[in-house]
Amino acid sequence: MTGITVVWLRSRLFRSYLRRFLLLWIAGKIANAATAAFLKLPPLAFRPGTELVVCAFELAVLVAFIRRANEDILLGNIGLRLPVALAPLVLLHFALSLALSLLA
Amino acid sequence: MIAGDSITVSLGGRAILQSAFVDAVPGKITVLVGRSGAGKTTLFDILVGRRRPDGGQVRWNGERVPQPSLALLARRGLFYHPDRSWLALSLTAADHFALIGRSPDGDALGVTPWLGRPVGTLSGGELRLTELALGLALAPTVALLDEPFRGLEPRHREQVAAALRLLAERGTAVLYADHDVESVRRTADRLFSMEQGATRLVEGCRERPLHEWYHAWPM
Repeated sequence: MTGITVVWLRSRLFRSYLRRFLLLWIAGKIANAATAAFLKLPPLAFRPGTELVVCAFELAVLVAFIRRANEDILLGNIGLRLPVALAPLVLLHFALSLALSLLA
Repeated sequence: MIAGDSITVSLGGRAILQSAFVDAVPGKITVLVGRSGAGKTTLFDILVGRRRPDGGQVRWNGERVPQPSLALLARRGLFYHPDRSWLALSLTAADHFALIGRSPDGDALGVTPWLGRPVGTLSGGELRLTELALGLALAPTVALLDEPFRGLEPRHREQVAAALRLLAERGTAVLYADHDVESVRRTADRLFSMEQGATRLVEGCRERPLHEWYHAWPM
């Protein structure tokens, strides 16, 4: 496995990261919205800079969990670097945040 | 083939590795022996790019690897087994084999009975065998293992030793670290002894009688 492949995206390991990332996204969104409301800004508006910071924080937490469980070694043994393995989650974060802002 | 050449590491002013050298040879089981804390794990961490050395280099097939990483070397044929569990505990053994796109290789390690169980529910021995079965299935050109026998009961030790021999017979360059004289004596084709951060190749280890092993042991 040299990069993002269908095998990786369909794997149960990636799906487990997806589930954890969704929970982190919800937590991040609540914190972001609360901060925005406190600053009298639209709570669910899409602000790219803020989204980038929140997304980086979510990924940092997820990476900490993965490293703590030594699963980065599992990914390494199949030739997958962590940034590559988790790249789809960045797209997911921005897609969800944008969709929510359009719905709000 | 992987090699660590003139590897030097200091931590807090203390030299952990001093111009250490180790390599692995295709079709042979090479063992790095040394007491606990001698720097074996540090040397392995450097070989797979999990730690940067102060000096020295990692070579793959004789060529310097400027920035080694496990993923990069795995794509070239490395399998790395650290001294701790590295499988995703919520997934089953079968999920792990699906992830690498292979099936257990002839079930040399007898993992079939627990393929459907989450690996977090396996015993330490079953977990280790599952990890090594994945390594076998990956058909690596180099296998790097940190204390593969640690904490195993005799039955599982025999299976792990057989797996290492099977890898070597298939042409894999096997390099593992250990400090148990009996395990090493039964499996080693080549031996590097590590003392005070430096390594030396012990010639003719297969022919040595047991008392000489104990005499030469770096403890």
